[in-house]
Amino acid sequence: MAQTILVIDDSASLRQVVAMALQGAGYEVLQAGDGQAALALLDGRKIGMAVCDVNMPRMNGIEFVKAAKALPAYRFLPILMLTTESQEAKKEEGRAAGAKAWMVKPFSPSSLLNAVSKLCLP
Amino acid sequence: MPTETQPSPDTAVNLMASATAAQTQPTASDATAASRAALCTALLPVWGRHLATSRSQSEGAVAEMLAAFAEIGPHLDRAARQSQQITAALAQDEGGIINLAQACEVELAPLLAQIGGPQAETLRKVLGMVQKSVGELEMLSKPFEHETQMVSRQVERMYVGFQYQDRISQMMTLLHDDMAHLQTVLTDPQAPPEALDPAVWLARLESQYVMQDQRQSAKAAGEPDQPGDDIETTFF
Repeated sequence: MAQTILVIDDSASLRQVVAMALQGAGYEVLQAGDGQAALALLDGRKIGMAVCDVNMPRMNGIEFVKAAKALPAYRFLPILMLTTESQEAKKEEGRAAGAKAWMVKPFSPSSLLNAVSKLCLP
Repeated sequence: MPTETQPSPDTAVNLMASATAAQTQPTASDATAASRAALCTALLPVWGRHLATSRSQSEGAVAEMLAAFAEIGPHLDRAARQSQQITAALAQDEGGIINLAQACEVELAPLLAQIGGPQAETLRKVLGMVQKSVGELEMLSKPFEHETQMVSRQVERMYVGFQYQDRISQMMTLLHDDMAHLQTVLTDPQAPPEALDPAVWLARLESQYVMQDQRQSAKAAGEPDQPGDDIETTFF
């Protein structure tokens, strides 16, 4: 059975690019436009990992990581931050919140798939 | 002073009124400042709308291209898989067509030596046809494999290219919001003097940058480039 990846980004075109890259490699994809919408999808379903933007309305990526890690069922959910933010201070914020990796956009599909294959839960 | 044919926001008029009220005899510099403020308050919303339209149109164009690409993608993937299958089928390892043709030649050689005559000639002819066909198939598959690899590389480039829309959109949003902020400050008679301090303004703007590109383009000409920090992936 294909692993499911939750893709969170307020840019619809970016979500589509990420989804296409992942689906092309055989992953199932769930999409959310911000952290709050993504949290609503953490309802007990099995998710292999999340790929999350940082700057988003309503609930940003760092807040989402903290909120997801507070849910017992998703405490170990690997989260890859995929963002245009490249400052060390922001990366450190992501790491401290519990993110597993930080990737700067624009990404190459091969790099994304490489990171996903390392992080995604079976 | 704005003419009747130009946009003449009430706020700009109020600003001028405030300026004139402050002194009974308005100076030339008061009038210049007021007319600059009037010009800005008339222009900024127009620029803002142009920016919003450009952003919306470029987002729409990328969405259209992505939709088309989403349609093409599965066909490209299928073609790539078929190419790999053809290459695997032809491969010279055990079970490959090339190997099979060679095995036929080797295995049938003793039989050909035994039977001789027209039957052997026919068999040799058939074997020759098989080898020729396999050779042609191999020649055909090589450029196909090359083309598939080339298409994969271009697809990768397209994935990267599509993502620039997100960067452009973020930069335009920041610019749009900053212009709106300038308009607010210019039309607020209660705005403190530091609200229009260039250093304060630029520091606030810089605090909102998220990309190295923004920091780089905000620098004055001649300042050295900072080393890029856009390293693609960091694992924690």
